[in-house]
Amino acid sequence: MQSSYQLSAIAWLRWRLFVNSLRSARGQLELLSRILVSVAFIVGGIGGASLMGVVAYFLLSAGKPGMLALPLWGISFFWQAFPIMATAFTNNPDSSDLLRFPLSYGSYFLMRMTYGAFDPATFLGCLWSIGILFGLTFAKPMLFPWALLVLLAFVAFNLLFMQMIFAWVERWLAQRRTREIMGVLFVLLMLSFQLIGPLTGRFGRRPQPQMQRFIEILAPVQRILPPGLAADAIVQGIYPQWPAALSSLALLCGFCMIVGYGLHVRLLAQYRGENLSEVVAVSSLPRDRRLRLGWNLPVLTPPMTAVFEKEVRYLLRSGPMLITLVMPIFILFIFRFGPANTARHSSGFLAHTPNLAFPIAAAYTLLTLTNLVYNIFGGDANGIQFFYACPVRFRKIVLAKNLTHSLILFVETIVAWIAVTFLYGRPALDITIATVAGLLFAAPLNFALGNLLSIYSPKRVDYSKFGRQRASQMTVLFSLALQFVIVGVGVSVFLLARYLGNFWIAALALLVLAGISFLVYGLALKRIDALMLNRRETLMAELCRA
Amino acid sequence: MDPAPTISTEGLSRRFGELVAVDGIDLRVAPGQFFGFLGPNGAGKSTTIKMLTGLLAPTAGSIEILGLDLRKNSVEVKRQIGVVPEGMALFGRLTGSEFLNFAGRMYGLDRETAAQRSVELLDFMQLADQPKKLVTDYSHGMQKKLALAAAVIHGPKVLFLDEPFEGVDAIAAGTLKAMLQGMIARGATIFLTSHVLEIVERLCSHVAIINRGRLVARGSLEELRAGVAGIAPVASGEFPDNKLSDALPSTEKMTLEQIFLRVVGGERRNDQELSWLG
Repeated sequence: MQSSYQLSAIAWLRWRLFVNSLRSARGQLELLSRILVSVAFIVGGIGGASLMGVVAYFLLSAGKPGMLALPLWGISFFWQAFPIMATAFTNNPDSSDLLRFPLSYGSYFLMRMTYGAFDPATFLGCLWSIGILFGLTFAKPMLFPWALLVLLAFVAFNLLFMQMIFAWVERWLAQRRTREIMGVLFVLLMLSFQLIGPLTGRFGRRPQPQMQRFIEILAPVQRILPPGLAADAIVQGIYPQWPAALSSLALLCGFCMIVGYGLHVRLLAQYRGENLSEVVAVSSLPRDRRLRLGWNLPVLTPPMTAVFEKEVRYLLRSGPMLITLVMPIFILFIFRFGPANTARHSSGFLAHTPNLAFPIAAAYTLLTLTNLVYNIFGGDANGIQFFYACPVRFRKIVLAKNLTHSLILFVETIVAWIAVTFLYGRPALDITIATVAGLLFAAPLNFALGNLLSIYSPKRVDYSKFGRQRASQMTVLFSLALQFVIVGVGVSVFLLARYLGNFWIAALALLVLAGISFLVYGLALKRIDALMLNRRETLMAELCRA
Repeated sequence: MDPAPTISTEGLSRRFGELVAVDGIDLRVAPGQFFGFLGPNGAGKSTTIKMLTGLLAPTAGSIEILGLDLRKNSVEVKRQIGVVPEGMALFGRLTGSEFLNFAGRMYGLDRETAAQRSVELLDFMQLADQPKKLVTDYSHGMQKKLALAAAVIHGPKVLFLDEPFEGVDAIAAGTLKAMLQGMIARGATIFLTSHVLEIVERLCSHVAIINRGRLVARGSLEELRAGVAGIAPVASGEFPDNKLSDALPSTEKMTLEQIFLRVVGGERRNDQELSWLG
């Protein structure tokens, strides 16, 4: 009774926060943007659910129920990967503030799970699972209750697993030692992808029966993992072989309990007031009287250098942000060594058009900067007051921040070029130049719009938290619109150049466009000081809130 | 002839929709004054200090700092002032040393000077013990000290402090007071708001009291005492027995707290008891 009363109070609190946010024009715009973004997700969700339903219906009708594991694996992969790849949409609210109230651990756990469910990945995953349920029911109506039960367990597993991953990754990123261990594990994971290619290539060179045998070896492995178990439980329910079906479901529930326990360990630690700050006992350290000079970058003025240094330090201390930044390389590895690509049989898009690997990697690199570029003051929080109090023009502060982001883009582009060279062969010179020209066209436009949206729609973020902060939906909407325009222009230019067989044409055209986008950036930068002054109350109200 | 004021406002006002937070304030703070700006909660202190430091735009009125119009010369004014605003304006994911270095360079100090002063300030504020600790992990009092260090790193001529002693322990408060008095001795002007009236009384040479957005008293403590003599106390809480003639001290002996309560009328309803409290 007490718990449900508290939960309803929290739900009321969130409702009031939402209603009160509508008092401002920005809040109303935010709602409008959220509605538009939600419509896009609903369309994607219903479309995906229909597809999943058709696939499930077809597999059952065609007598291939064993293949049900494929769509379930797809759903599971999306559910876990999407929140990490698209953090702007992810919202895993920080509930630690509520711990001051006499909240039982059960309520705390339930609350985290409930709010974790308001997430696009969960929404889409659930819709697609419902699609599969409908497909199965249309094909075999008697299967409905059993399929519903199994899919509920499947959904519960994915929900718990996603929450557990977020909770643990945040824990590991919070301290230097665990952060380093995680970095090593991440590199090992990437290296392990390299082994998949040669391995599948080795089997690919062999006659078909041996490849078949390899799949036969892999099949039981996937069958004992949750998506495979869910598929197996449904299949056994069709025949029906209830002991086998029940044991698969029991195993699936076992997985739920394991990940649930993993999540419980984390949440319990949070509930008990865990502090992950890296504080050293005062008495153990001598007084520090060493002179630590700030950076010296001759091309920048001292205040701009100071902002540049501060931005880099912030970034290097943000594990979650660093993970986002390595995603392009990670994705390249997946594309190259994923199951769709063997030495002989490369069915992936990039395998057929390796010369587009570098432009695509560069474009994705720019996309990963979205969180930084479109909310440049978000991480500063109360520090925004300092910027307003110090005798430096905002255009210089903003320019220094943009230069930091440019440096990241530059370094990432080089790393992407090296990765593409290693994975797909060295990109041709004309492709490389055209891609760089494309970045010169796209980056200033993104910076210009990002600066404006950072002023008009700021959002306080904590760089040390992982997946707990949703970006402003207005920013998401506008940035997506700009990306569509930029990608549309870029792809058109590249396709035209490809059609004409000369990528130098693309390079030239994109350089001309780059000139225009630099002009746009310059004009937007000139307006920054006036805009910052006009919007100072909104900025400080949003960024300095506790 | 009076010297030109360091801080001067005319008709300074700020509205938030229907609410008039600050209503036509005229302030004069002379060079070298330690000026206390007092008022009850929500009176408009922080709003005023934000306007004086460029953190908030006034709805009406003008502000001059060191003879410069703040609106027209904001960068030049900011170069010569230091601020510890309500939110402390800290960058949480820097260490104390990095933040002070950053602040120094943002105020135009060269790298060496910024680094040297950072070391001295951290040492003075007793924050040098944990060089790798991030500001976000500092206690509230430590953050206050760091914010003050950042506000003075460039040697400002005018210092604005919003509740500088809030959450600061007695030892640290002593350190801060010594530093502020040293600045005054060297000719700086300090404008502070505080709820700790004993500290204001001990430190400040001049005081202004704001209530419901309006300036209700200003001057030196002696001037306030003289001015308040003619005001009947409104505060029933100040003298619960209502035996005014017995309870009232002579105006010469009145503390700042008594003056404050007399001026702003610290109404408290004694008939209302929270009887359900344990």
